[in-house]
Amino acid sequence: MAQKVKYKEIKYKEKTTWKKEAVLLPGYLVVSLWCLFTFLVIGWIILASFSTTKEIFSDTMFATGLHPENYVKALFTHNVSKYFMNSLIYTLIACTGIVCVAAPAAYVLARFVFRGNKLLQSLFIAALGIPAIMIIMPLFSVITSMRLTNSRMVLILLYICINVPFTIFFLITFFKTLPYDFEEAAAIDGCGPMKTFWVIMLPLAQPGIITVTIFNFITVWNEYFMALIFANKTELRPVAVGLYSMVQSMRYTGDWAGMFAAVVIVFLPTFILYLFLSEKVIAGVTGGAIKG
Amino acid sequence: MKKNKVMMVTFLVPAILSYLLVFLYPTMRTTFMSLFYVENITDSVLKWRWVGLGNFKTLADSTLFMQALKNISLIWLWGGVGVFLLSMLFAVILTSGVKGKSFYRSIIYLPNVVSAVAMGTMWMQYVYNPKFGLFKKVFEFLGLKKLAEVQWTAPEMLFAALVIAYSFGMVGYFMLIFMAGIERIPPDYYEAATMEGASVVKKFFSITLPLLKDVIRTNIVLWSISAVGFFIWSQIFSPLNPEPSTVTPMVYMYQLVFGNNMVVTDRNVGAGAAVGVILTVIVVVLFAITTIVFRDDKIEY
Repeated sequence: MAQKVKYKEIKYKEKTTWKKEAVLLPGYLVVSLWCLFTFLVIGWIILASFSTTKEIFSDTMFATGLHPENYVKALFTHNVSKYFMNSLIYTLIACTGIVCVAAPAAYVLARFVFRGNKLLQSLFIAALGIPAIMIIMPLFSVITSMRLTNSRMVLILLYICINVPFTIFFLITFFKTLPYDFEEAAAIDGCGPMKTFWVIMLPLAQPGIITVTIFNFITVWNEYFMALIFANKTELRPVAVGLYSMVQSMRYTGDWAGMFAAVVIVFLPTFILYLFLSEKVIAGVTGGAIKG
Repeated sequence: MKKNKVMMVTFLVPAILSYLLVFLYPTMRTTFMSLFYVENITDSVLKWRWVGLGNFKTLADSTLFMQALKNISLIWLWGGVGVFLLSMLFAVILTSGVKGKSFYRSIIYLPNVVSAVAMGTMWMQYVYNPKFGLFKKVFEFLGLKKLAEVQWTAPEMLFAALVIAYSFGMVGYFMLIFMAGIERIPPDYYEAATMEGASVVKKFFSITLPLLKDVIRTNIVLWSISAVGFFIWSQIFSPLNPEPSTVTPMVYMYQLVFGNNMVVTDRNVGAGAAVGVILTVIVVVLFAITTIVFRDDKIEY
């Protein structure tokens, strides 16, 4: 046994030699090229957003220096600042709401045995496969007949309800991994089950909740279809729908530099979030998909 | 125990209510509505006119809808082949002990965190631009005159351009899931194979691929769901009056029920509901097929 371990150690050290790296060279090349392409696209868009339309077309970017006024124009003349605030409001409230609804439910489904538990779990999982088109028409007719279209609250409520199944699904696996000792100890000390959840279990589940919330943040921030149908008014539009309508209008006015500035503004928040938290985001994807 | 019951009910009720409100009730109503002629989306059930399978017949007779179905099948097939090959290749490369793995992984996944509208605009207005586009520049630099002259945004190339741009972003997503699957495979398997002198290719086909069966299945289901819901990219690639080559069933439904342009003239919400039912059936059938094809029970290590 001891010998085997030794052998492993030697082999491990060998891994970092030149020969090993040379074998991996084609692999490095492929992924590097792919990443280079991504960098080129994003880098060029950022450069172009500081340039002028004329310079972009004549391939003489920055001949007349930097043009930050593209951003001023996009933010204020084209209402991007308004769309941005809308998105921020929708995303922050919806993400909080999703956790408030999904976490308690996931906790009960993960830790208590009762009749119908399996059925409820399968129902929530099935929701992940229902195309948006199946739910949009009845929702629209109900919301219109209640005269609630173009309301922030309705859109936020929809965002919460739509993202609850995925969040429950994600958090169930998370709550299952927590030890049972805490609940038992709390029960012996006379702590009620509700209090146990809010005071003991929820803080313990924090890492899982943060991961799934970052994931939800990106989903809600980028959501397009629901907003297109339920909030298609300048004052209510989130960034995705706002950018779309702006791109269309800028194609007619021919303001390409302004259009690229708007793209950068829309792209920035999730990009920065990702820059700092990419490990968490990635954990959210794999944690959600691998069990299904 | 009684306390526990009260807690369980209070904790579950909001989630169940939200489910009934946004998933169960609408799905049932849409299914029901697909059997009626409904002129206006806000019409009450009393105004609906029973047509049985008439809406499905109308759709089958509509060339645009059939084109839309063909389009998503082609997106599913060609995009799927490209995305699965590339994401599997990247996953294998990044799990083979390269340095800077998490850096590469983050960059390749990046398009998925950015708004699809922003990504689509970058492709459509920059990468494919016939004047200053990246594709033109790169192909010119490489001396590939023919490729540099391709008009990506012309109607006959638009569909290919759409599939390429869409698939580019999806590669990162499926790569992550493949990577997680590969990392679950115990390293001893590979070590034993290496000691026996197995090549990289042999190891991939004899160890990685067979053990990834259930991950591949998950990915096929996820890819199918995303292909069925294909919408934003079509809108970006062909705004205003949709080009037939970019119309997907979702776009068709949108025009039929909410749209205000000339492509779909006859407004029938029931037919829109029928589109939804068809798409759901497609997802369920694909799910069933993958379950049968990949019947192998769960692998335990």
